[in-house]
Amino acid sequence: MTTQYSFVSSCINVDEFDQMLHRSLNRCLSTSIHDMLKGKKIIFNMDERTKIPINGWGMKSNPYCATTINPIKPILENTTVSAIDSSSIQVAETEEGTLYAVKCGIVMSSRGQTFIHLRIGPILFYLSKETIRDSEIDHRLAKLILFDNECAKRLIRVRIERAVQMIISNHFKRSIILIDGSLKPSLFEDKDQSIKNVAENCALNRNSMIGISKSTKFKILDKISSSLTKIPGPAYMDVNLVIKSLIRNTIGDSVIVKFGNGNSAILRADIVTSDRNKYFLFGKLLGNDSMADGYPETLRLAHHISTFTNTEVSCLKGHILSSYEVTELASEDIRRTLLGSLLI
Amino acid sequence: MKILSKNGNELIMLAMKTDIATKGDYLLIVDEKSNKKMIVQIYDEDYFSSQSLIEDIVKDEVVVASSTENLHDPLNIGKLSRIIRDARLFRAKIRAAIDISDRLSSDISWLPSRVFSKVERLRISELNSFLGRTGILPIPIGKTGKDNEDFDIYAEEFDGKLNIITGKKESGKSHLSKMLIKTLVQYGAFVIVFDLNNEYGGLAWNSDGSRSSIQDQVMILEPGNGLKFSLEYCGKSGISNMLKNSLDLPAASLREFFRIWDSLKNKKTLDLESLGNAINTWNINELVRDALISRYHVIQTSRLFTDASKRDELRFESIITENRKGAAMIVNMGKITSVVRKMIVELILSKLVDLLEKNIIPPIFLFAEEAQLYIRETYWEDIITRMRHFGIYTTFITNQPDAISDGIYRQVDNIFLFNFTNDADLDKLSKVSLLDNETIRSIAKTLPQRHCLAIGKAVSDLPVVVKIATTEILTLGETKKFFKI
Repeated sequence: MTTQYSFVSSCINVDEFDQMLHRSLNRCLSTSIHDMLKGKKIIFNMDERTKIPINGWGMKSNPYCATTINPIKPILENTTVSAIDSSSIQVAETEEGTLYAVKCGIVMSSRGQTFIHLRIGPILFYLSKETIRDSEIDHRLAKLILFDNECAKRLIRVRIERAVQMIISNHFKRSIILIDGSLKPSLFEDKDQSIKNVAENCALNRNSMIGISKSTKFKILDKISSSLTKIPGPAYMDVNLVIKSLIRNTIGDSVIVKFGNGNSAILRADIVTSDRNKYFLFGKLLGNDSMADGYPETLRLAHHISTFTNTEVSCLKGHILSSYEVTELASEDIRRTLLGSLLI
Repeated sequence: MKILSKNGNELIMLAMKTDIATKGDYLLIVDEKSNKKMIVQIYDEDYFSSQSLIEDIVKDEVVVASSTENLHDPLNIGKLSRIIRDARLFRAKIRAAIDISDRLSSDISWLPSRVFSKVERLRISELNSFLGRTGILPIPIGKTGKDNEDFDIYAEEFDGKLNIITGKKESGKSHLSKMLIKTLVQYGAFVIVFDLNNEYGGLAWNSDGSRSSIQDQVMILEPGNGLKFSLEYCGKSGISNMLKNSLDLPAASLREFFRIWDSLKNKKTLDLESLGNAINTWNINELVRDALISRYHVIQTSRLFTDASKRDELRFESIITENRKGAAMIVNMGKITSVVRKMIVELILSKLVDLLEKNIIPPIFLFAEEAQLYIRETYWEDIITRMRHFGIYTTFITNQPDAISDGIYRQVDNIFLFNFTNDADLDKLSKVSLLDNETIRSIAKTLPQRHCLAIGKAVSDLPVVVKIATTEILTLGETKKFFKI
């Protein structure tokens, strides 16, 4: 051991190495943390998840503190609220392609009561060169989804959601359609069933569409939302200018909204409404959907019924093995095998 | 059904809803690779549960409760999911193994393959053939298993054995004991029953009011009515035992009693009247006289004694001689005081021992209901050790398993365990019985009425759940009720 250490120390001068590293890093990144952090408010992140401070960052950090806050009051006018959510998973792989499963949940409520829900799926999709060649997917997009599993899952999710949104926006009149996520055209949507087509349908049938995002990658919105935390009841703030300045292709107007009381969650919402009256739209939403913990119950239920459970995944695997004459090969998690795991 | 895991001497099996088996059923695990077989018995049944499965169920229930559900499930995965939710785990105790030459073996140290093992339900007839369980005098006590197979125990297994029939009130104990008594008598056995509820008299009659097949062999004995002894027949030791143990006569008084007895015997005037006169006129301490007089009055009022000259006394040897084909002597003790009960038991047991010792009578089967109420503590040991050697083969029937001492349980050959829900009772049984704690606790708690778990020699030490057959015996001894509904 001593021999080894002497050998290493004869090759590398540790002090010199430390100085070189310090000089190199300081060119692009500051390592003098102490002075920079002193007196700052802080929240710790875990598992790469986005977290927000419960009581906001405080007025000091809010450059939009002068923006108008609009309180929302429930409007008891009978309106159907439909919420749509979906999830997709990669189930299996073959030499040529990948097998995905998708589930979609649709929940409807009126006068604060959910009255019907529809579970769609699980439905299996097999994406391979052969299956994509026969589809209408653009060949560049086809290459991407064959190369990237995340993109493939997103494509399946977007396609099924848009199909459902098209049906609902055609079928209902003067209703509210809730969508999980922002109202942004996607690279993966079909040109005949795009979010724009859905928005057009909504306009034709006087439906409103709200895309609700639980978190946003725009840090500025977190700062702005501090003012809303101070308001005791439901309220919204117009952030259309901020969003439009950051991204160009969103549909409708953007707001940050708090549906619950006190410290309930502050959400970003993209709105498409025929009369552009946000106060009236949010009022009708509050009057027709229940808002436990400041999140629409319909969307929460749609999320729950669209997520895959472990049992379903096991059943899907069983179904594939028993129905499609496939042979399961022994497999291993290469990362786990190589890195191992230290249980503590 | 598939083997899932092993824990100690038990296997855990995964079963789907279509795999029909219940607690107490035997399974045969055939390891097709090693050609070995293992016999296991299901003792508990549970849902196959994982945290995620429970979460799924709860989530689904919440969703379905909140609104009407519509499904579009083209692959019918929901059906598979429901099958998984209904999957069950059978916990089974390893009871025996069968070697390559199809012989029963106690080598259960090997582990059957999870992949190549086939699990199938074992019929009781197949189990019997593996065990080589046969007999000459079958007692068809009921049915067993899902297929309602007839189940017999053999009268030979009761010969020279100590048995306990236990279970909570109205679980079917007396029903089984009546069935056993009837069959034993049919096979020519002599049975004495200490009947606490005056219910065994029904053995003479069928439920439709007709005579039972053993009516002529059933004798109802009550104090003053068939159950009368002469002092001479009981003998000095029998009477002194009764005075000492049942009537708590002090030693000093007992010595004076012996003098009186010897004097009367010499004068050949050993009858009840002479005994009374002698006690009153004997030259003794007044306290001793008082003690003897009070005991004498109890003896007199018990209606248990008669004079030999009247020729109405009970003589066991006469009954046995007159009923060569067997007899059931039912001692009705339902309407008598506890002191008289104790006197009866003391007199009968000491006389039986005396007769058996002298080889005057053949061995006797004794059925004692709630014996703790009339058998003194020191007698228990006598019954299970000494009397057994003389030829008194006892069956205790009780709903208080804790009233029987551990010593008796350790000597017991067969236990017929009916339903118990009380943990304390099950604790007692599981500590001392011939079977493991888990099987007793799990099976006994869920036994329906008239179902029992037979444990011991009668079932070749492989416990069996039996549904006791209905009999035609007339039911007596029902509780007198105020409300006639």
